[in-house]
Amino acid sequence: MEDEFFGEKCFQYYCAEFIKHSQQIGDGWEWKTAKDCSDGYMCKTEFQIKNGTTPSHLGTPASVHTGFPTEENLELPVDDSEVMESAAASKVIKYEYHVLYSCSYQVPVLYFRASFLDGKPLSLTDIWEGVHECYKTRLLQGPWDTITQQEHPILGQPFFVLHPCKTNEFMTAVLKHPQKINRNVNYITSWLSIMGPVVGLNLPLSYAKATSQDE
Amino acid sequence: MAEEPEAVLQLPSSAAAASGETLSELSPETVTPEPPSSAAVSPGTEEPPGDTKKKIDILLKAVGDTPIMKTKKWAVERTRTIQGLIDFIKKFLKLVASEQLFIYVNQSFAPSPDQEVGTLYECFGSDGKLVLHYCKSQAWG
Repeated sequence: MEDEFFGEKCFQYYCAEFIKHSQQIGDGWEWKTAKDCSDGYMCKTEFQIKNGTTPSHLGTPASVHTGFPTEENLELPVDDSEVMESAAASKVIKYEYHVLYSCSYQVPVLYFRASFLDGKPLSLTDIWEGVHECYKTRLLQGPWDTITQQEHPILGQPFFVLHPCKTNEFMTAVLKHPQKINRNVNYITSWLSIMGPVVGLNLPLSYAKATSQDE
Repeated sequence: MAEEPEAVLQLPSSAAAASGETLSELSPETVTPEPPSSAAVSPGTEEPPGDTKKKIDILLKAVGDTPIMKTKKWAVERTRTIQGLIDFIKKFLKLVASEQLFIYVNQSFAPSPDQEVGTLYECFGSDGKLVLHYCKSQAWG
């Protein structure tokens, strides 16, 4: 049936459902429409405090950095001092998360960017440092298959992207059983709960409840 | 089990040796066991005596082609995180560190790795237990 692939209509429907719950709990997700076409995306801006409470991030910057290319460091020569600074005092970082539909992969894709309060964007190295320990070992085996910088298809600005090439595969596995027992699952909620935590986006548990109550 | 000083851990010995984890297998004889006094003093024991009551029962179910665990029912501390549980299952199933495992509540929602199972139990537990699905999947290239 139609659940074999995830169409753009489906995407917009589940985003709308997702935003409905977001408005109930007030966690700030909204829909933005592109100026010149019907395409749109779901987005949220969040401020996160990074401080020195995670020693594993601060104690081993060298080993963390070795796993992947560091071209960002060349662009941003002040990077090291920046890291030291953030180690010394807690820093507020502005995260922007955008959920877009990929026509080529027929799945949702998570775009994001992050900046310090003075507007300086976080480099790919900074982003990797913030990736949860839980995923690091696995992901650093193929860093370029995971997070890369790409142009935001609607805004035309540089964003980081969590690669969607396996999304259909793992979502099929996740949704198989709920579909078998005719349980209504919001694809976007399920997918974002899996992808988000990698880059600091944690969905409140009430989203899981909202999904099961909509049956 | 007698030779294990941390007998309270109640793990199949191979997994216990590999992991040093503190999940307790639930079988009729071992439900809410009182920790032997030695456990309180043995180094490496994370659990103070009497903490057993603070444990919750979880039921672990495999999704897709993920290997099943012979023991599905476990008693875990409320403060154990999803990440701790993922690490435990990976060791139990002898998955390599690089394989990614996800845990779901309601079959489809993956709580963040820092989420404590006690909170999940309060939100999603029923009939005195929390059902969690786990799935080995490649979410990235």
